[in-house]
Amino acid sequence: MPMDIPLHQPKPHLPGELGVWVFILGDMVIFGLLFGTFLFYRADDPALYQRSQATLNQNFGAINTIVLLSSSWLVAKAVQCARQGARRQVSRLLAAAWLCGLVFAVVKVLEYSEKISHGITLVTNDFYMYYFVLTGLHFVHLLLGMGVLGYLWIRSRHTPAAGDLSVLESGASFWHLADLLWIVLFPLIYLIQ
Amino acid sequence: MTQSQKNQLLCIWSGPVFVVLFAIGFFFCAGFLPPHSPSTGADEVAAIFRNNASMIRLGQVIMLLGSSMALAFVGVLSTQLRRIETGLPVFTFVQLAAGISVVVLLVVPCLLWIVAAFRPERAPELTQLLNDAAWLMLLTPFAPAGVQLLAVGFAVLGDRVAVPVFPRWVGFFNIWVAVLFLPGGLIPFFKSGPFAWNGLFGFWVPAIAFFGWFLTMTMVMRRSIKRQSVT
Repeated sequence: MPMDIPLHQPKPHLPGELGVWVFILGDMVIFGLLFGTFLFYRADDPALYQRSQATLNQNFGAINTIVLLSSSWLVAKAVQCARQGARRQVSRLLAAAWLCGLVFAVVKVLEYSEKISHGITLVTNDFYMYYFVLTGLHFVHLLLGMGVLGYLWIRSRHTPAAGDLSVLESGASFWHLADLLWIVLFPLIYLIQ
Repeated sequence: MTQSQKNQLLCIWSGPVFVVLFAIGFFFCAGFLPPHSPSTGADEVAAIFRNNASMIRLGQVIMLLGSSMALAFVGVLSTQLRRIETGLPVFTFVQLAAGISVVVLLVVPCLLWIVAAFRPERAPELTQLLNDAAWLMLLTPFAPAGVQLLAVGFAVLGDRVAVPVFPRWVGFFNIWVAVLFLPGGLIPFFKSGPFAWNGLFGFWVPAIAFFGWFLTMTMVMRRSIKRQSVT
């Protein structure tokens, strides 16, 4: 940390446009409410939740955590490259991040089908209700995020990277949101004891 | 101020009036707040309709009136979207069509509750059937409302002029409300808990979001209608 802090600091940079943060913060409030509800009802019957949680495939969850963290890194790298005007790099990094999203989706589908083939659905018990609803709502966000990344990828091939950075930053912020939600969701559903 | 602006400012009041009438009918007359649990037995549901038949009928007629007022609100919203879409408008029409279907999905449950309260002495299972149909029809349809909200969201975000009709956060706000309605799709699966029709995410979050949306859009539209003459 530098010791001499200048008196007139430059205005802090907000990535993306202000409006997108209305969505991101609003979404975090709702997921916060969902996580709180989960913990509230979990306290009623911890034994059931523990027993059900033990049947989850933690490998799937762990793989997806690594995949999403990698994709977030790729997207952050893409924004960095865009700032430096490295246009072709931006396209490649965004495509790689999108593929990570696809891997996540495939693993998720495998995980769901494994559960369903064992006769476990969202009405089996309260734990599985939260498991399917929370991971399902997150999955919707991931699919939206893949749509956003796809749009950014197409855009990066047609517009000069030095152009409007704000759109790229807004989209990247949304992707980081999907990642962040998973980072909270994974320990909460799969690991918490 | 032009006549169009005056007409729009008049129509815009249908939003708050809808919210107030719906609340009066739903809460004060019919006594549906908080909603009874979907796990309530047929005899108990039938008793609710037998004991409050007149007030439930009155409440539903008031809600019917309020919901129909929302049509004027949908009309103003499309009028403002039309200002954004300077070429051939598409989101203007999508919003109009989806908005009308949302109003229909508000009106039909009112009518079903009126039918339920019309002959409450019938077999309890039949009253329960009508009551189930009304609740599920009112709270499950996240998709038509979602189409309406996304149409508004995309139109607002596509407004790339120096002085846009709506501030850009309104676009993201509409998309966010569409996400808030998503748990409506879970209502058919549960008879208790937070995702049932009386639960936190089945009822309270979407209900607050729905009325909050009407009040927020009333304020931002008033501003954009008044500015219409300047731009």
